Amino acid sequence: MRPVASSRQQVLGRIRAACCGGQNPAATAEEAAERYERLPRDYRTRGKSTVRACQELFIERLREYDAEVVECAPEELGAMIAAQLEASGRHMFVAPPGLPAGWLVPAAWQISDFEWNIDHNLPADEIERAQGVVTGCFCGVADSGTIVLHHSATEGRRVITLLPDWYLCVVRASQIVETLPEYFDRCDQPPALVTWISGPSATADIEMTRIKGVHGPRFLNVIVVNDREQGTGIRE
Amino acid sequence: MSAAAEHEAVAEREVSDRPILDPALAPPFPVAALLVLRNSQLRKNVAHAIDVIQAKRARLVAEKQDWQELRSAAALIRDEALENLSVYLEQFEARCTAAGGTVHWASDAADARRIILELLREEKADEVIKIKTMTSAEIQLNPFLEANGIRTYETDLAEIILQLGEGEPSHIVVPALHVNRSQVREIFARRMGIENLSDEPEALTAAARNYLRQKFLSVPTAISGANFLIAETGSVAVVESEGNGRMCLTLPRTMITLAGIEKVLPRFADLEVMLQLLARSATGERMNPYTSLWTGVTPGDGPQKFHVVLLDNGRSSILARKTERQTLRCIRCAACMNACPVYRQTGGHAYGSVYPGPIGAILTPQLEQMRHAQSLPYASSLCGACFEVCPVKINIPEVLLELRARVTDDERKQVSRFFDPLYLGLRVANVIFSRAWLSHLAQWAGRIVLGLFTRKDGWIHALPGIGAKWTQTRDLRGLPKQAFHDWWADRQRGKK
Repeated sequence: MRPVASSRQQVLGRIRAACCGGQNPAATAEEAAERYERLPRDYRTRGKSTVRACQELFIERLREYDAEVVECAPEELGAMIAAQLEASGRHMFVAPPGLPAGWLVPAAWQISDFEWNIDHNLPADEIERAQGVVTGCFCGVADSGTIVLHHSATEGRRVITLLPDWYLCVVRASQIVETLPEYFDRCDQPPALVTWISGPSATADIEMTRIKGVHGPRFLNVIVVNDREQGTGIRE
Repeated sequence: MSAAAEHEAVAEREVSDRPILDPALAPPFPVAALLVLRNSQLRKNVAHAIDVIQAKRARLVAEKQDWQELRSAAALIRDEALENLSVYLEQFEARCTAAGGTVHWASDAADARRIILELLREEKADEVIKIKTMTSAEIQLNPFLEANGIRTYETDLAEIILQLGEGEPSHIVVPALHVNRSQVREIFARRMGIENLSDEPEALTAAARNYLRQKFLSVPTAISGANFLIAETGSVAVVESEGNGRMCLTLPRTMITLAGIEKVLPRFADLEVMLQLLARSATGERMNPYTSLWTGVTPGDGPQKFHVVLLDNGRSSILARKTERQTLRCIRCAACMNACPVYRQTGGHAYGSVYPGPIGAILTPQLEQMRHAQSLPYASSLCGACFEVCPVKINIPEVLLELRARVTDDERKQVSRFFDPLYLGLRVANVIFSRAWLSHLAQWAGRIVLGLFTRKDGWIHALPGIGAKWTQTRDLRGLPKQAFHDWWADRQRGKK
């Protein structure tokens, strides 16, 4: 095998010759950054809807993906989570380590045969045995019905929202933005890990018929918590 | 043997064979297309799938009021990335390395295959799970790994259908779009050993889920492509639907990502444009179910060894040409093939490349450095539907014309084509049309000769010899009794 450096030099050399062979002087990172800043962006960056309309749009779009969506007040969240878990008919759940204490209310724990596994680096086969998972999220995007996970302690490692067949995600209304650019605006720093989730796992590979659930969770449940009027913080 | 007879012979030979997607070996487009045109089942499958995607796409694009502004921004962002490609790639390399990844550079397909094999040998891997990647098909990675004793498991549903059914991809987003449900049922029942499998897509999908589940949990090495590389952060993004991508990105110990050098975007926030365009263009969804982005290695989450192989394989030569450079803006959404009236009739295999349709018609010959796939720039009616739908505004007809010019320039220099009727004819025409008297003489002769074949209705229905190539499929209007310049001369004389 050729030394790696030689392929690197060869490829970069060809690129530089191709881009800068003409009139353009070799661009530096600073020059590139300056040019980049000047690129026109005339697309919609801000939403136009009211807070309520934006939330309704988010819910409508999620339902179009066959997600189950319910709304509740902040003080009802614990009970709502418990009700959702019970309605799922499942018993073994996994949760990220940073889930707010109030989310797993005693009511949920008392339902006789619920079994919780908190993910402190659980091996994959143990997560695979779980039937469901509950997490928070970083952001919800109404325009496309997208839930964004940055995999913090309330959202968990990527694998826990992947292997269980049933996924319950809690989205606070204050986390919902209308457009995708508004989500990017909420990122102070680019995150190292992101998963954008839009509905349950699906495929249209056979005759373009959309089928729910291939390898990811087949069931996506979302609880939207109406926390807006209390003026709670926007970000996690 | 004449070129046409040669084509026929190739066509006969290939009738029952698996389509050839190696541009160096594939028959010319018209020959390969002929085979498909005779396969009415395949045409029906392709047309059905295309109609479904097109209708969904049209509805979702129409609801997006800033669609044109998004397209313009996307084109400029991609142009900026290409203009300063070396800067952005070095930035990506530095950030990815700092985050615990390892970046490799491959100047061509063989180089990339060798690098990946060495990495797999280091891991002592004898099997590998794969996320759908057209780039790996481009470098023919699977047969190479199999030949070197490494089993490859494709995990995208369409790719499983093709791998188990020993088929070839005919589309870059839904590669098995030419296969219908009963054909899938037959393949799965036979290869997975399932009796009584129904042909309902739900049942077929469930079969694929069961087939792969254990592989996901046990195979320690995975290979992926990349939809985007982010220079600012050294991150890689993969856009998918099924969750097979997420499985490969989180469960194995080692991840190897193969990405074309053109896949880089300057900043993380550029995804706000690309993600809005990609799913709508590709599958007619507001957003695809899953998009994953990761940066090097994250302790405790996902593969703890991460390699990126940056592949040139002809891309830098496209970068060097002003008109053709826009080819590299492509984000592989396949909207152009879904919109193309030619693709709709022929499907993907006729293009003799893993990149079919209008984008394939411009990308393949260029990746082959114009040595192969010379018939592809002609596999288009230049109607412009591809340009209209392209989310990054690649003017495909413009590039097609440029490539046709290059093919022609190249061909007429070849000694063997000196007596080719086309080039012979054009040379004669060049002489005739540059001299008025010769031109008049030719018209006079033409009127006499064509007059012999012109019927009473003023049309020529059949010509002998080479002229039959025209009249086989359409009529030709006979020449008028008087040429314009004769009429003009008469008129001028009359005035005097």
